[in-house]
Amino acid sequence: MVIDFLSYSLIPLFSALAIPFIARKNTRLVEVLANITLIAGFINVSYILLSYLIKNDPNIITIDIFSLLMIFIIYLVGLAITFFSSNYGIENETNPISYYSLILIGVSAMSSIVITQDIFSLYVFVEALSIVSFALITSNNSEKSIEASIKYFFLTFPASVLIIFGISILLLNNPNLDFPTIKDTSSKMLSIIGLSIIIVGFLIKSGIVPFHFWTPDVYQGSYSPISAFLAGIITKTGGIYAIVKISSLITNSSLNYYLSKILLVSGLLSVIIGGFLAMVQKDFKRILAYSSISQMGYIILAAATFTPLGIIAALFHIINHATFKTVLFLNSACVEKQTQTTSIDELKGLEHKMPVTSWTSIIAMMATAGIPPLSGFWSKLLVIVALWKSGNTFYAVTALIASILTLVYFVNLQKKVFFGKLPEKFDTLKEAKAQLLIPVVVISAIIIFSGLFFNRIYSYLLKII
Amino acid sequence: MSMTINYPLDWFFISVLFFIGAYCMIVSRNIIRLLIGFEIISKSAMIAIIASGQHTNAINLAQSLIIIMILVEVVVIATGLALIVKFHNKYQTIDIKKLMNLKG
Amino acid sequence: MIIYVLIYLIIIGAAVLAVISKKLINSAIMLAVLSIGVSLLFFSYEAPWAGVFELSVCAGLITVIFISAVSLVKQDDEEFKEDRTKYKIFPLILMAFIIISSIFVPDYFMKLSGFAVYVNNSNESIGKFIWLYRGIDIIGQITILSASVFVIKHIFFRKSDTLEEK
Repeated sequence: MVIDFLSYSLIPLFSALAIPFIARKNTRLVEVLANITLIAGFINVSYILLSYLIKNDPNIITIDIFSLLMIFIIYLVGLAITFFSSNYGIENETNPISYYSLILIGVSAMSSIVITQDIFSLYVFVEALSIVSFALITSNNSEKSIEASIKYFFLTFPASVLIIFGISILLLNNPNLDFPTIKDTSSKMLSIIGLSIIIVGFLIKSGIVPFHFWTPDVYQGSYSPISAFLAGIITKTGGIYAIVKISSLITNSSLNYYLSKILLVSGLLSVIIGGFLAMVQKDFKRILAYSSISQMGYIILAAATFTPLGIIAALFHIINHATFKTVLFLNSACVEKQTQTTSIDELKGLEHKMPVTSWTSIIAMMATAGIPPLSGFWSKLLVIVALWKSGNTFYAVTALIASILTLVYFVNLQKKVFFGKLPEKFDTLKEAKAQLLIPVVVISAIIIFSGLFFNRIYSYLLKII
Repeated sequence: MSMTINYPLDWFFISVLFFIGAYCMIVSRNIIRLLIGFEIISKSAMIAIIASGQHTNAINLAQSLIIIMILVEVVVIATGLALIVKFHNKYQTIDIKKLMNLKG
Repeated sequence: MIIYVLIYLIIIGAAVLAVISKKLINSAIMLAVLSIGVSLLFFSYEAPWAGVFELSVCAGLITVIFISAVSLVKQDDEEFKEDRTKYKIFPLILMAFIIISSIFVPDYFMKLSGFAVYVNNSNESIGKFIWLYRGIDIIGQITILSASVFVIKHIFFRKSDTLEEK
């Protein structure tokens, strides 16, 4: 099965290695090559997915839909970032050759993460992804980005060490580290201890409470298109995907009770604390960072039930949240470029001057808060139903009440930033260039359509089990 | 000829080495000394894998894991040092207190 | 048994000296001694391939990288005077930790290792392991190596690199 998908991770790698040789002739060719590689991959994946969705024939592909959906979202976000960066004007601030190469290598490493069937290979590709993100964060040589990168480096290294210790305890029980072998022995005590240590390591990498201290500073300080890349897909494939995959392997036995409780508590704390801290922030990007922490809590809550419905809910929420955060961070990059500021005290009434940016941000914010009929409502409903059906009724009710917090701070944010009276100094503000808005509009269309056609998508997701 | 050593004794030494590395990371103010502590902790993790591999007679599997881990560690250390040199170029210091005071 | 304890004493001694020493160059050299000790440990555990890789890569390459980095930030080594008492009391804290952990740690792992499973078929050569069973790790290695090239180039960006063509 791995051989089928290997081209998704090898082709971006070869393009990345070919870029320095092409750049000798012409620098614009570099952007064209990067965009074409990702467009080709994206069209390939969406053709396979759409043909499966429309024809409903289970014999077309005999492989894992989980991996295919993740590859779809990886290529979508990567394509959006590359297209955005081509028109953002990065030549003045950073080296475009190594920038595009690093984005392509990041996409390749992320594709390899979701197709591998082995825990140690997962660790190797996650380390490759972290190295790429250390370099991309410091792209614009400003002081904040250097500090963000060093903080990210030193606050996520314990995760790597914990994963290795977990693998060493797992080695005592399993003769090789494949996923099927781990699923067979997952009810023995040594496997549970090893898997718990590995899960704690991945919790540190994904920014869940009580390990969330690196998240706001890193999201705020990094270069703006890279914030979208980081929040959109890197923390998801680098951290949460492994937790969801390991949760789908653990069979529900009596020893898993404690592990399930630990994950439920940390998920619930993330939802609540992320919500409360987002209400008192004064900077646009920090609010988005705390909202990310809160939504990751929902994914952990769904995965902690160890039931098939929970895994489906977690996967759907991962895909939705990736689209929401990409739209919001790309829009904040546009706003920052036009107005040179990100503080919400200074930004007022942007809707009059930048209509497309405002309305796509409002769609993404309403979808995150869970308003029907957008896609965010359905995925949150699935999470709460999965919690209710597995018997954790207290967590279900609390998660439902906490989603009101999301609504509160996002409505507040919309009222302040987008509506209202325009101050004097923004009279000459113009809308961002049309090419910068294309990725955002496309992803917003995907959010609206997947919300309206949820019925087909749900019956499609059921085939994962 | 294989002299079997106690598996718990291995883990005792691994925990002592882990403590030394963790102390070095917590206490020092110089960022390069932090990286030296990070290196010591990584070495203790590698010894853990070899010890587990030898205890269950799967030493060849453990060796193939270690070979790849060594490469990963070298690249991470090189990236960390490159970041520190860039930090030094901008701020003219390698003190970690300066890093903590920049933002909340 | 004696050889194992001797090698462990070398490793821990080198680690303690790396933490306590005042100059950074001495810490880097003690790190090299630590790597040599770990490589000897791998040899005595019947893992010769791991020992060879550790010796050539860690004891050689990492030491060179550290010493070059220390030389690049040299003039600030004497600028801020650290509080040396935290380092002077370190051996005492280490002794206390050794005594405490020798009570708890071996018993816990003795219980854990009772559950371990003995593997029978691992007399195959290591080449078969690396190429057949863990073949996808080779793609991981290629990814990491190509990433490191571009990472180092990206971090040390100079503005004159892109303004040349204009």
